[in-house]
Amino acid sequence: MRRLERQSFLGPNSDQVLANTKVGLVGLGGGGSHLVQQFAHLGIGGFVLVDPDVIDLGNTNRLVGGTLADVAAHRAKVQIAERLIRGLQTDGDVKSIQARWESALDELKGCDVIVGAVDSYGARDELERFARRYLIPYVDIGMDVLKCREGDFLISGQVILSSPGEPCLRCCNFITEERLEREAEKYGAAGGRPQVVWSNGILASIAVGIVVELLTPWRRRTEGFIYLEYDGNRKTVTVSNCVAEVVGRTCLHYPDDERGDPAFDVRHLREKSNVSPKLDLSGQVVGSPRRKLWWRRLVDRILACRNRPQHDRL
Amino acid sequence: MRTQFRITSALLSQIRKDLRRPHLFASERVGFISAGLAWSGSSVLILARNYHPVADEDYLDSTAVGAMMGPEAIRKAMELGLLKRDAVFHVHSHGGRGVPAFSSIDRREHAKFVPDFLKVAPQNIHGALVLSDCAGAGVIWTAGARAPERISNFVEVGAPLRKWGMQ
Repeated sequence: MRRLERQSFLGPNSDQVLANTKVGLVGLGGGGSHLVQQFAHLGIGGFVLVDPDVIDLGNTNRLVGGTLADVAAHRAKVQIAERLIRGLQTDGDVKSIQARWESALDELKGCDVIVGAVDSYGARDELERFARRYLIPYVDIGMDVLKCREGDFLISGQVILSSPGEPCLRCCNFITEERLEREAEKYGAAGGRPQVVWSNGILASIAVGIVVELLTPWRRRTEGFIYLEYDGNRKTVTVSNCVAEVVGRTCLHYPDDERGDPAFDVRHLREKSNVSPKLDLSGQVVGSPRRKLWWRRLVDRILACRNRPQHDRL
Repeated sequence: MRTQFRITSALLSQIRKDLRRPHLFASERVGFISAGLAWSGSSVLILARNYHPVADEDYLDSTAVGAMMGPEAIRKAMELGLLKRDAVFHVHSHGGRGVPAFSSIDRREHAKFVPDFLKVAPQNIHGALVLSDCAGAGVIWTAGARAPERISNFVEVGAPLRKWGMQ
């Protein structure tokens, strides 16, 4: 039996499609660790993992794959995520970057999809702007715990798919200037950014389902914009009321003309050492001095050695 | 150089629809795609921005090719590179299914005008695309290169997201 046989309904080439997909995961805490686990099980072949943090004891209530031994070893969250992937995808293309996502721009530009599990509206806003600039679908997940007047807590969350050309987080009023301004003062009300494993799991699972549907559409109807609201108290996930208002509208927040690197110059790229050289049919680098074949180099070395004075050989 | 062409499904549909429109005398339609460019560490990303159909009056009546553009069409396309600093890609369609290929006439005609875009925007790469009803293929020209190179792969960004070409 093939490892992915039980998900073959995703399409005849789904194994290959998933293996050829590179997913960027920004934030590998409570939500992100669930995402990593599920994408690895699914057979996603490429990962760009980005998180600056090291696991601490307070993360172990929700960080999937994290252990107390990792806490003792001060292990980076990206290392824990990579270990989880390597256990399932031994030949996966995994790039782990222990830094803020702004340090991983080139790697993230190469992704087919970016999923953000970040804490702040500001980070979401910037990540979405980045994804739009490089024509990458962005899936956002997040949860919050708010203290009600009666002393109860309200667990809520969201999963939003923001595709280039479709409505964005600003179109649906999830990101507003007021929220961005207020954020610095207050985020959540039940202590320092409260998070629980089951809500993160629900939101991450939905996000993974959205990504799989984008890549291997197993039903006829797929959407380019999705906004689902999670009510942890009622244990429901519903389509946000704003969807009907914004679907079909053109997003004016990210103009088409902004796509690409503003100062791109291909002539500078040629000078960079990490640009793949152009090869001719024999595998020689075009424009560079022709490198001798291996046997020719070996013969040259033997001849040079024989011609050398006797004392030099010692 | 590895290159990846990214375009939204909506823009691609708009282009295909426009290219299917009949013309008074030309047997096919052509247009230009303006694009932004980016470096991803291993590939140049070509990020389609807008579509610019060749205006009806900018075709020349010719039986030599399916669609002969006049100098005004080329001038307008060159303006995209010069004034907006866009990368410019000529586009036409062969219809049908599967990944299409350029004809020898396509290759000969592209070589006559696409390299001229480098004169006004040498910092960019420019090129030509041929579409089918479900895929596409393309070539790029860069400053200093003696011959065009193939675009390595394509991503149609939409729901679903589709990729083809070399992975």
